[in-house]
Amino acid sequence: MIRPTIALTAAAASVLLLAGCGTTENAGEASGEAAIVVTDDRGESIELSAPAEKIVALEWNTAENLVALGVMPAGVADVEGYTDWVKSEPLDEGVTDVGDRGEPSVDAIAGLAPDLVLTTTDLSESVIAQIEEFAPVLVVRGADASNPIGQMELNLERIATVTGHEAEGEEVLAGFHEKLAEGTAALEEAGLAAAPFMMSDAWPNGGQVSIRPFAEGALLTAVTEELGLENVWTGEGDADYGLGSTDVEGLTTVGDVEFLYIANGDIDPYQNELAGNAVWQSLPFVQSGKVHRLPDGVWMFGGPSSMNDYIDAVVATLAA
Amino acid sequence: MPSSQLSPPDQAAALNPAPGGAARPRLGAVLLLAVGLVVATLLAAVHVTQGSASVGIVELLGLLTGGSDDQTAAVLVASRMPRLAAGVLVGVALGVAGLVMQSVSRNVLASPDTLAVNAGSYLAVVAVAAFGIALPVAGGGVVAFIGGLAAAGLVLALSAGGGRGGGTVRLVLAGSAIALALSALTTMLLLLYPERTEGLYAWGNGSLAQTGMAPMLQLGPVVLVAVAALFLFARQFDLIALGDDTATVLGVQVRRTRLIGILIAVLLSAAAVTVAGPIGFVGLAAPAIVRLIAVRVPGMQKHVLLIPAAALMGVIVVLGADVLLRLAFGGQTAVEVPTGVVTTIFGAVFLIALALRARASSESGTGFVIGAGLSPRGRGLVIAASAVLLVVLAFVSLLLGDAKLLGGDVLNWVTGQAGPLVEFVMNTRAPRVAAAILAGAALALAGTVVQAVSRNPLAEPAILGVTGGAGVGAVFVITFWPFATFLGVTTGGLLGAALAALIVFGLALRGGLASTRLILIGLGVSAAAAAITSMLIIATDPYNAAKALTWMNGSTYGRTFPQLIPLAIVILASVPLLASARRELDLLAFDDDTPRVLGVRLGSARLGLLAVSVALTATAVAAVGVIGFVGLVAPHAARALVGSRHALVLPLAALLGALLVCVADTLGRTIIAPAQLPAGLLTAVVGAPYFVWLLWRSRRTA
Repeated sequence: MIRPTIALTAAAASVLLLAGCGTTENAGEASGEAAIVVTDDRGESIELSAPAEKIVALEWNTAENLVALGVMPAGVADVEGYTDWVKSEPLDEGVTDVGDRGEPSVDAIAGLAPDLVLTTTDLSESVIAQIEEFAPVLVVRGADASNPIGQMELNLERIATVTGHEAEGEEVLAGFHEKLAEGTAALEEAGLAAAPFMMSDAWPNGGQVSIRPFAEGALLTAVTEELGLENVWTGEGDADYGLGSTDVEGLTTVGDVEFLYIANGDIDPYQNELAGNAVWQSLPFVQSGKVHRLPDGVWMFGGPSSMNDYIDAVVATLAA
Repeated sequence: MPSSQLSPPDQAAALNPAPGGAARPRLGAVLLLAVGLVVATLLAAVHVTQGSASVGIVELLGLLTGGSDDQTAAVLVASRMPRLAAGVLVGVALGVAGLVMQSVSRNVLASPDTLAVNAGSYLAVVAVAAFGIALPVAGGGVVAFIGGLAAAGLVLALSAGGGRGGGTVRLVLAGSAIALALSALTTMLLLLYPERTEGLYAWGNGSLAQTGMAPMLQLGPVVLVAVAALFLFARQFDLIALGDDTATVLGVQVRRTRLIGILIAVLLSAAAVTVAGPIGFVGLAAPAIVRLIAVRVPGMQKHVLLIPAAALMGVIVVLGADVLLRLAFGGQTAVEVPTGVVTTIFGAVFLIALALRARASSESGTGFVIGAGLSPRGRGLVIAASAVLLVVLAFVSLLLGDAKLLGGDVLNWVTGQAGPLVEFVMNTRAPRVAAAILAGAALALAGTVVQAVSRNPLAEPAILGVTGGAGVGAVFVITFWPFATFLGVTTGGLLGAALAALIVFGLALRGGLASTRLILIGLGVSAAAAAITSMLIIATDPYNAAKALTWMNGSTYGRTFPQLIPLAIVILASVPLLASARRELDLLAFDDDTPRVLGVRLGSARLGLLAVSVALTATAVAAVGVIGFVGLVAPHAARALVGSRHALVLPLAALLGALLVCVADTLGRTIIAPAQLPAGLLTAVVGAPYFVWLLWRSRRTA
């Protein structure tokens, strides 16, 4: 038993000898005076000497907002997933992937030596504290079911402030409100004012389908209501994202409504798994043909850009 | 060695051995079956009234009188009936499969769960999905069958050594270890191929909901034929229960019958997994309940009656769990909680009850001391070499990760000359390396102590449920007090671990700790703890995958030095305590009498040492989540190298435990960087085969 131990030790020692000679970097740099001060959703104030340029975004909505403001992030968590789900603001080729959104790699973030890291309160406090060792961290609440649109706007505004792109921020928000007004008018013209709707997504689970209704307080629900439609799903959602959960049976509480949903690629349980299901077929909105799949890549928890895409999609689908 | 100390009661209460004595089933037994049928029917009736739609008893009765609408009919036909049918199919399949497995192995603890059939089937299904092979439901069934069969074969082969029929504890341990390793592999696939295996995670806990009748229509006939085929062998199963020799004399081809029985049982479990995912412990609990009842009813112990009884009981357990779930959470919320979680808790309680009924045996405590292969000088060298290796690996582990560093960077960091980048990377990586090393050492020390005190070489904090209890305590605190400090989480872990230890050791105390009972009770508690943790996470925080990963699979992600303080303090306090108790540990591990003769107060010594191991376990779990196998593997490896004296075993076990978790953590941080795998998964993948190898080696000496 002793021989492998010695061999291992020797191998490890030679690795160390080979590796031991160099370092990977030079010296540090100094910082100046705070020019920008922003309070984040933890109540911490973030002080920056200059607008942040090299930024890592750990949640997709913060990344989307950055791109919308004209700042390409240096790193984003799960770039591949972002590209699939967030089509409104595409990332450049050179953006570094820093790992999963749930457990982003602190190494990778530090490796980019960012001026600022953007994340949400969903990330654990001890990880935020670790990142703060090497870069200021602006922590926004990903969503607030008691004020979904307000929270989205606040998040964009703060990101505009820390990047010094306030003018662009105002532009983006103005564009969003314009889009809302246009959408509302288009839907009204199509005779859809106060039309009842329900928004959801779903995924297959073995032989089953899990349905995630967007309850009162979800961002998409709020935007659709702003467009003049009326949400009929009365189930409770969570306190942040306003997401509920149900199965096909649960949809029997919904009458003849505009049934909107978002799927991704081939994964579309409403069209695939449920198509032949008698409960699904018995639903009034299925019978009257009011089931609408919105285009892929409209990020349901995103910022104004995603919401603009969403409004376009709803108008194109319903008022066409 | 007793051929099997947990044999089915029907073996003890011997059957009428006369060759022509297939007496007609007695009236009482048949009546009992009828009662079972009525209970199952009543449960089914309640079951169809429950669900997320407002279709209750009134609406369903309305259907009969024509007073309800088409939608009610649709809900009944396309949602409630498929769910009921799935429950019936799964209940029948698992109940009968468990019964047959128990009969042919003459072991009341053999079941689709303890033979790792469910885990094997699930892994096969996930692997097929992960590698992008789409299969129709029937094809999925074949895959599940092959996976389940392979796992069962492995477990039976491994546990077959210790006497005919296999020792109970060996069987359950081999099964649990292989099931753990297989589910670790499954979780890895789920993490590595998230988009291809989407949805299979929740399914992994077992759920009855269905979107249509198709799976039941495809697999129902398979189950029917399989169960019918078993009736042909009913009499041979009766005779096998009498013992191999008797059965052979009476003309049974024992090996062939046994093989057929196992194949059909695996087929049945695979059908159940294909329909509803792995629904835990039904295959153990249902037939065991049937046997408990059967010993009291004349004529009931014939397989002609046992098979339908186990089928009925399986249905009652599955539907009962589902009904209870919906009563407790309400039709809407219960959508999120898998039925398998509830049956696992049921089954775990039942496993404990079975263990309590078991007679104490001398099986444990033998056959696991592999002997010191080294000379006294070699022993010292091994310890020194392990210490050096740990230092070297800790250093390498600081260099590896998503960002690769060089040795000079670490030296600069230590001397405070590093630039910002290295400083940052090291500041986050060093606590993770430290957490892995400290937790590994703590779990190994705790395992060494538990094995000595319980005089049971298979005991360890994870298998005994102490680690799982700590996990439940910690997750409980995080769930209900979101702003709890790390000290609060540690306290929660400590309370959970202490409670689990109290249950396990308290229940096992009757009849002496050194019995198979301890292990079986521990396995029950640890299964229940895992199910409760998963229920807490699914019911309160379903979208937080990171949280689930940390607490279910062990992870050093996001650790900081201040969070390691409780663990460091406990280790620092334990080391001198254990060092001074090394003689007592030697004596306790030897037998009951020697320590008494030498004036050791057995009760208080055991209690004190157990308290130390509970504290070590709880603080380790609070630091890195639930990591299994370290506490088992490290002490074994240490004893194999340096013999049984605790003066040497303790330090070497601590070093080896630290090495194992450190390597697992480093691999997890590096292999798929920038994404990561939890350390606990890798220790299971590394630790379980080692454990299996231990079992295999011990075959000869058992």
